[in-house]
Amino acid sequence: MEKNYIHPLPVRIWHWINAIGFLTLIATAVQIRYMDLFQLLNFRTAVVVHNYVGFVLIANFFLWFGYYLFTDKISVYLPEMNPQKYFEDSWRQIKFYGYGIFLGEENPHHPTIYHKFNPLQIMMYQIIMLLAVPIMFGSGLLLWDVKRFSAVVEFFGGVRVVDTVHVLMFIVFCGFLLMHLYLITLGPTRLAHIKAMLTGYEEEHGDSKSKP
Amino acid sequence: MTLILSRYVRLCRLAVLALAALLLMLTALLGQAAHAEEPALGKEDLACQKCHDSATIKPKMTQAGESLSLHISSSAFLASRHSETSCTDCHENADGKDHGKVEVPMKSRRDYRLSYQDTCTTCHKKNVADYKDSVHAHLVKAGSDKAPTCSDCHNVHTQINVKIVQPIANVPCANCHEEIFKAYSGDVHGLERVAKGKSAPLCADCHSSHKIQAASLGEGIKDNCFACHKDAVAKHEVWLPNSGRHFEAISCPVCHAPDAQRRVNLRLVDSAGRKQIKEVLGVPQFERLTLAANTSGGSLNEKELSSFLKEFNVEQTAGKAILRGRLEVRSGVQAHQLSVKEKAIKDCRICHEVGATPFQSVVLTMAGEDGRPLRHGVEKEVLTSLTAMGSLRGFYTIGSSRIKLLDYLLVLVLLGVLCVPVAHYTVHRMFKPRREQRLAELARSASVAANTSAKNDNKV
Repeated sequence: MEKNYIHPLPVRIWHWINAIGFLTLIATAVQIRYMDLFQLLNFRTAVVVHNYVGFVLIANFFLWFGYYLFTDKISVYLPEMNPQKYFEDSWRQIKFYGYGIFLGEENPHHPTIYHKFNPLQIMMYQIIMLLAVPIMFGSGLLLWDVKRFSAVVEFFGGVRVVDTVHVLMFIVFCGFLLMHLYLITLGPTRLAHIKAMLTGYEEEHGDSKSKP
Repeated sequence: MTLILSRYVRLCRLAVLALAALLLMLTALLGQAAHAEEPALGKEDLACQKCHDSATIKPKMTQAGESLSLHISSSAFLASRHSETSCTDCHENADGKDHGKVEVPMKSRRDYRLSYQDTCTTCHKKNVADYKDSVHAHLVKAGSDKAPTCSDCHNVHTQINVKIVQPIANVPCANCHEEIFKAYSGDVHGLERVAKGKSAPLCADCHSSHKIQAASLGEGIKDNCFACHKDAVAKHEVWLPNSGRHFEAISCPVCHAPDAQRRVNLRLVDSAGRKQIKEVLGVPQFERLTLAANTSGGSLNEKELSSFLKEFNVEQTAGKAILRGRLEVRSGVQAHQLSVKEKAIKDCRICHEVGATPFQSVVLTMAGEDGRPLRHGVEKEVLTSLTAMGSLRGFYTIGSSRIKLLDYLLVLVLLGVLCVPVAHYTVHRMFKPRREQRLAELARSASVAANTSAKNDNKV
């Protein structure tokens, strides 16, 4: 069993701030939107916490963006440029998650610090980090002070449209979070990926022997 | 020495006498001046008042059968703001020869008052110009027999300084807006006015004296609230998230008249300037188009509202009209039930909860040609509909006007996404025997391979 260093410290800090932040945002968002269902927080407190955490996560996003933009680790997000190979790799990964994993086959992707994501992860994280997250933060910023950004809000079709986009993104992130929580248990062991995100090192088992 | 002393005393006496004489002259002059400042009736006015200040002067009967008192108290007139005005300055048609001798027919008191509207312009140009732009003047123009003319509010023969209103019930607005004045008298401003005098507002302080507009149109009287409550914005910013938006979309009484009933007012505004659209004179668009759109009867549903907007914009020449939602209280009486600030609503759930009462009543509003709001009911379901996005793009309230379809979508996505790990995990568990068998085979193969390799090594 060998250990691969795949999660640099800044990435781990960003990830856990993001994790705690997003869970807080989801919890306060549910409270804000569904005051009629339960009242763990009063409306105003939920809104204020939601706003502050939102700003922390926007700053955190730029930490992530800056880190990958100004280091060679950006390669983890770069997809395979040969379409045929890209689709072959993706199909291999789909086959693994859809069938091979049940038979205990080895994960076809072996993460390294420069290529830690499989082709499906690269595609998913590009969509999440470069599309969904900016839309989420952008719409959230507009809703934080509708009056201040009224011209931009109007440009995008009014406060109702901006809010609907924000809520749609909320639904996407809720779905993503559930999938993410399940997928991180599909490592060599159930806790392998979580440990890796804490220590930076992922244990390479060679085969899924320890997880029958 | 004695001679010098007596001369000095004599000089002093002379000086004192001269001073006394001077003082007497000054007093006499000042007295004369003071006497001159006291208003007095001129020769012509005295002639008028000879009859009109008489207790026996008979009232004039109008053709409408009303009685009009012709008695003018000279003392009240001289104490009024018009004391320096001569009778003929206003009553220029009064013929000295025939006046009082020949009966001049008068249609009605109202007609007589209306005939004097322009007379006030001679001196009060700005006030009359403001009045002509008011909802009162527009109503008069539209033929109202109740909307006030100048002399309905100002008794021209006894008018003292308008700022002196004591007791407050003497305010002319109370004559017509009786219920509103009653509400005002019992609210925080009315009580303060009685207790502290002019520091608290009376009608004109918020609604202006002459350029009176319907308070529920345009920006309403919010700026007038801020004129006294200068720190209101800063104080709200401390605790109220998105306070700018709240000020924009909520009228002050919504929170500061806690017992009032509230509603959503969807105003027709122009998309460029955000100004409330006013009906063009002689083109009754609102009633016609709401009636045409309202095929189901009653309040407008989502499709009917959309159809109304579409048709309205076809006829709208000056830019596109959009709807801008606003929370307000349901009546003028309720807008005058303001409480002390400690009782103002601070509980966000009053509005930000599904089923919140302010969102149970929705109206569509446009400014009528006479400056009064024209309204038509709208179904409350419009506020929570995804497909009403086009009509209600500028109005959204967290919680209470949340789009139902998005709630269903959230549940659907969560259930759908949950199914994937549950199914995947279940299949993974079901494959456990096969997985163990495969791994055992792999282990056996590895062991055989290892043994073979060891034997080969031994042979070598």
